[in-house]
Amino acid sequence: MNAQSAAAKTPRDFTFIEPRKRRLTEYEAVTIHQQWEPGGFDAGTTFLRGPDGRAWWEAERTAIKHPNWFAFRDPAQHWQRTYVRMQAEQERSIERITEDAVAGGLFEELDREWLHSILGKHYRVWSFFEYGLFRAFSPAQREALSDSLGNAICFQSFDHMRLGQAVVAHLLTIENELEDYEDRGAKGLWTDDPIYQPARHLAEDIIMTDDWAEQTLVVNLVIAPILSRIAWDTLVRKPAPLHGDPVTPLILMTAERDRRRNLDYSKELVAMVTADDLDVGDANRKVIAGWIDDWRARVIDVARSLAPVAERMPRTNIDFEAELQAVASAQGELISELGLGGGSK
Amino acid sequence: MKNIVETHERVKDFDWKFSYNDKPKRYPTRYKIPPKTKDPFRHLIRDYCSMEQEKDDRQYGAMSDVIARSGMPGKASERWMEIMKLVLPITCFGEYAAMKSCGQLIDTVDNAELRQGYLAQTIDEVRHVNQQAHLARYFSKHSPDPEGFAQGFKLRSRTMQARAGQAALSGFFNADPIEGAINLQVVTETAYTNPLFVAVTEIAAANGDETTPTVFLSVQSDEARHMANGYSTLAAIVSNPDNLEHLEKDFDRAFWRQHNFLDPFLGAVYDYFQENRSSSYLEKWEEWIAEDWAGAYIAKLEPFGLKAPRWFDSARANIPWVGHTAMMLIAAAWPIMFWRFDPMTERDFEWFEKKYPGWYEHYGKFWEDYARITDPKEGTIPMELFNSLPPLCRTCHMPCALPRPDIATMRVRMIDDRKHAFCSEACEHIFLEEPHRYLGNPTLFEEFDGVDMADFIEQGGFLRADGKTLIAQPTLKRDRQWTIDDIRALKIELRDPLRDLPVDEVKAA
Repeated sequence: MNAQSAAAKTPRDFTFIEPRKRRLTEYEAVTIHQQWEPGGFDAGTTFLRGPDGRAWWEAERTAIKHPNWFAFRDPAQHWQRTYVRMQAEQERSIERITEDAVAGGLFEELDREWLHSILGKHYRVWSFFEYGLFRAFSPAQREALSDSLGNAICFQSFDHMRLGQAVVAHLLTIENELEDYEDRGAKGLWTDDPIYQPARHLAEDIIMTDDWAEQTLVVNLVIAPILSRIAWDTLVRKPAPLHGDPVTPLILMTAERDRRRNLDYSKELVAMVTADDLDVGDANRKVIAGWIDDWRARVIDVARSLAPVAERMPRTNIDFEAELQAVASAQGELISELGLGGGSK
Repeated sequence: MKNIVETHERVKDFDWKFSYNDKPKRYPTRYKIPPKTKDPFRHLIRDYCSMEQEKDDRQYGAMSDVIARSGMPGKASERWMEIMKLVLPITCFGEYAAMKSCGQLIDTVDNAELRQGYLAQTIDEVRHVNQQAHLARYFSKHSPDPEGFAQGFKLRSRTMQARAGQAALSGFFNADPIEGAINLQVVTETAYTNPLFVAVTEIAAANGDETTPTVFLSVQSDEARHMANGYSTLAAIVSNPDNLEHLEKDFDRAFWRQHNFLDPFLGAVYDYFQENRSSSYLEKWEEWIAEDWAGAYIAKLEPFGLKAPRWFDSARANIPWVGHTAMMLIAAAWPIMFWRFDPMTERDFEWFEKKYPGWYEHYGKFWEDYARITDPKEGTIPMELFNSLPPLCRTCHMPCALPRPDIATMRVRMIDDRKHAFCSEACEHIFLEEPHRYLGNPTLFEEFDGVDMADFIEQGGFLRADGKTLIAQPTLKRDRQWTIDDIRALKIELRDPLRDLPVDEVKAA
């Protein structure tokens, strides 16, 4: 071999990652094989076991199986820089419209019943549900069986806290602008109002779920397409403009962007673990379909428990049951497209 | 500002007492944490994102602009650049472990304010993994010798130092979550990130590497918040006297666990890869660890019952030697590493003797012999200067020759019909407290016992792109490099030294 051909072969990039496409992306380079995989990619074993003897990561912490979790790629290709930039942009858009609303006196135009009954109560109460989802995704990111999955889940955890905080900051601004509004009492509604107890029970159960993949897929394939659509979109985003409220829909649209991204990675995860050429594909499909069956009817019931909120709308009538049927039907189609059963009833 | 403070006051109230379930017990803790404490940084996501985006733009912008255009990696000292091949895969371990630690803390600590701080830290840790992996990739593209940068994340698990690093740094998360926070935030971030991310950048810059400081100082700007998280966590712990008994033991273990890996590692990096020489690791240790951390930070908590860690004095006494001992053993086994070494010169000898009086007596002969056998035609490697390498410690996976071969505190024990070596009284004590956390975890020498060194190198991927030349080399000279054939001709078998050692003796290596 001459010097020239040896030099030509010298690697000028990471050689230990199999790129999804022809070239290694920045996302792949800074993400893949950062989690250690003793007995697989890595030599050695768990050099420090947990107090209960556990390994660093354990395959048994989810009921679904895959021979190579590191093959997962987030369709959004987010690494920290792109994710934080995207959220900084979303937050700046909220900040700008809030500033403009203050400068233009727009909060004065808010329908006061809308402000007190919907924003001050339901909208604020639902920030606690988002906080619950933030908590659920924290152990899920810890336990996920690869870096690419753990990071996507970690970013989702951040999404939910971001939305919870955005709601609080938004109402504080309104409180500062209007003398007849004070952000008080929502926590009591979350903990005691019968309307919200099914949702709180659900939030606690999803936090308590020990299977990280179940937490992730149930939230993104069942709770987000049904309950989040009803709680945020049907009850707040859509009727807001009719009540002199241009700001709230923008905040909730940033959360919709997050939900689309999280749905995309969940679809990718389902596709990866149910692939036809995978020995465990059928078994995984049954497990995931079972999770969806276990949670779906309950999530629809939780959404239905919010019906009294629709009755408080000051300037519009919402056909709540029709809205619920529509989102449930759309979710059923999503599940069918993923090959996870009918579920549109 | 009013909005920030008020918003923060309200988001602190997000937690609620569960009615339909008990609280999660996925990560059991022995500690009782009060539901309200203080988060001095008032982490709010809107400000956090904006601040981090700006920092990212500055750092990545500098890397893709002036540093790349001026070809800085190519102008840096080669001696210095080589050790970054090992440093970055190890620091990434720590950052990744820290991210997992924060996930556990959020699940376990019933305190909304601390949870907000832990969330910001979680994303910071993803940031640091990404930054440091990006830097390794950057060096693989721009440094004169990319071999080692291109594969380091694959080779680290077959390298002694990196495995010891895993053993220490996984204490951030594979533990009681509060024990993890003590390892991560109270010991490593508060005591050791200054020597790592600040002091190392001084050496890097002095040796022409402007890229590493650009990244590391940006990392360190987040660490101040993590130290505050640690302080808040610690303040919460000491506020309940029931916690003190656990805290004392966990703090003792955490300090020794992190010290016994980080000090030999950082000492070797700092002292042996400087070409344009300045201060020593010992000087930095006295300033950052002894004075600032133990003397100020920990001392401030003494009124609340926290004492300096049990083995602190022993660690302090060892600091003048542990880096040299670790470096000698790494250099002795250079073919199974993934970076190139630069032999120490007369100029280096003088510096060492000045900074570490007595250095020549203990290490000088080794480096003189080392320099004589760097050419393959000599037909030997420095490992053959020793009867055998020391065994690796069951607890910390460091070589049992610490602090210095002639005063090594190694002991060999038979436990459950299996031989175990411990590098120190502290590691033996820590093992005996919870043996199940260490049993069944083979050291590198146990895992590859009986394997021909050439096979280890070839099968492990320690060869350059030509398939013949070793990534590691004993010198920076490129005229005659070692190949796999040279190593195969030596017929060296990797042998677990523990096999041949008698039990229950305190021996020097």
